[in-house]
Amino acid sequence: MPYSEIFNDHIANPRNAGELPGANGVAEETNPVCGDRLRLSLIIKNGRIETARFLAYGCAPTLACGSVLAMTVSGMRIDEALQLTRKQLVDELGGLAAQKQHAAALAIETLRSAISNSK
Amino acid sequence: MRRVYLDHSATTPLDTRVLEAMLPYLTGTFGNASSVHMFGQQAREAIDKARRQLASLINARANEIIFTSGGTEANNLAIRGICQIAESHGRHLITSEIEHPSVRGAVEQLEKQGWEVSRLQVYRDGIVRVDDVRQAMRPDTVLVSVMTANNEIGTIQPIAEIGALVSEERAAGHRHLWFHTDAVQAAGRIPIDVQALGCDLLSLSAHKIYGPKGAGALFVRRGVRVTPQQVGGHQERERRAGTEPVANLVGFGMAAELARSEITDRSEYICGLRNRFERELETRIPEIVFNGNRKHRLPHLSNISFRFVEGEGLLIHLDLNGVAVSTGSACSSGTLEPSPVIRALGHNDELARGSIRFSFGKNNTAEDVDYAVDAVTRAVESLRALSPLTRVMVLDD
Repeated sequence: MPYSEIFNDHIANPRNAGELPGANGVAEETNPVCGDRLRLSLIIKNGRIETARFLAYGCAPTLACGSVLAMTVSGMRIDEALQLTRKQLVDELGGLAAQKQHAAALAIETLRSAISNSK
Repeated sequence: MRRVYLDHSATTPLDTRVLEAMLPYLTGTFGNASSVHMFGQQAREAIDKARRQLASLINARANEIIFTSGGTEANNLAIRGICQIAESHGRHLITSEIEHPSVRGAVEQLEKQGWEVSRLQVYRDGIVRVDDVRQAMRPDTVLVSVMTANNEIGTIQPIAEIGALVSEERAAGHRHLWFHTDAVQAAGRIPIDVQALGCDLLSLSAHKIYGPKGAGALFVRRGVRVTPQQVGGHQERERRAGTEPVANLVGFGMAAELARSEITDRSEYICGLRNRFERELETRIPEIVFNGNRKHRLPHLSNISFRFVEGEGLLIHLDLNGVAVSTGSACSSGTLEPSPVIRALGHNDELARGSIRFSFGKNNTAEDVDYAVDAVTRAVESLRALSPLTRVMVLDD
């Protein structure tokens, strides 16, 4: 399936990209099979993600999933963020071919690790 | 938005002169070339002309050309066709690490059937060594198959030298030995002369030389037999059954004639564009690696790894900005095979994953090149800003 316009927009204009000074929840996860890498930095205060930023290396879906993840979780309560699913991210991107959904799985895994690592 | 097509190694646009030559055979002159009546004879005459045009491109005789559906079929016919004929004399073949998937696939299938295969390494420059072919040669070797030029990095292989080695071997009594070369990428871009190359079989494809998709050919030297892979018809002198796609073959013939007459001008022009592109990129983007020997390579092709950036991400970025390129790596189902060709050069996975092939064509312009340089520069800067690998590099510094 072709990439959606929303997907293409995340590639052309990534949201919330970069390092996040003062982050208190950081995780960098790698897909051991394909080598894609996603780094998520969170500032968490009072049970809520105030800000989220991402860095990504990998195929276009990994970049787009990083972008949509950081955008989506900014402002979210931790309990809500922990409920976020791969399917929700894929839907936010306007769909992804089945063989590309591993990118959304990496994004969810990175989010959970960053929350778990938070101090 | 401007659209710049830099993927001519994947396929080329149909030349309008080729289209004009084909059109009558899609409408009024529609006969089956096997038919005895006038409609059929017109089709037969057109195919015979195309065969002569193609033979002329590679300095062969017309009756040494077998038309196929494309380069993949030509490679399959060459490898399987020879090995099936020759297996009573030996079950060993020599090939390179960087062959096209259609050669790789045919060879792997033979391997599963018990054939032994020697794969020649290509070193950092992407070129096989004739001495390695000599070393790999065994009394039971029946086939050497080495591509004329590589499809991803464009490196030109020492085919005439390998042909000379095969001739020497035969002269020394190694009678059941044949030499095939896949010239799909090379034809129309560098001169191909089957007499000078000394090959027994050579594969060609129409759509790489501004002809139509769905037409290819295998040169089979007079006296060399191949087992047909398509049976059930008398076409192509019993070597490839099936009604000929007359319009496609007419187009192939015309494309071959144009390639032969224009090869020098085309190559000089395209090489100029490619060199301009590389010069500009070298100046503007740090941390890039040119893959393969930059001297002995096809004039239209440039393969570059951009460090800290993944090829497919870059490809999509460029596509969104109107620039069409390709990458040897493919990511699907969570598995990624970094380009086997770039890995064969001894590069690590990161460089193999970050490789992009830019392949220029006769319709590209200097403005296209400048636009592409800007687009690549912006895309690489943007992706590097996102890449955690860049961050690691900065911290290391």
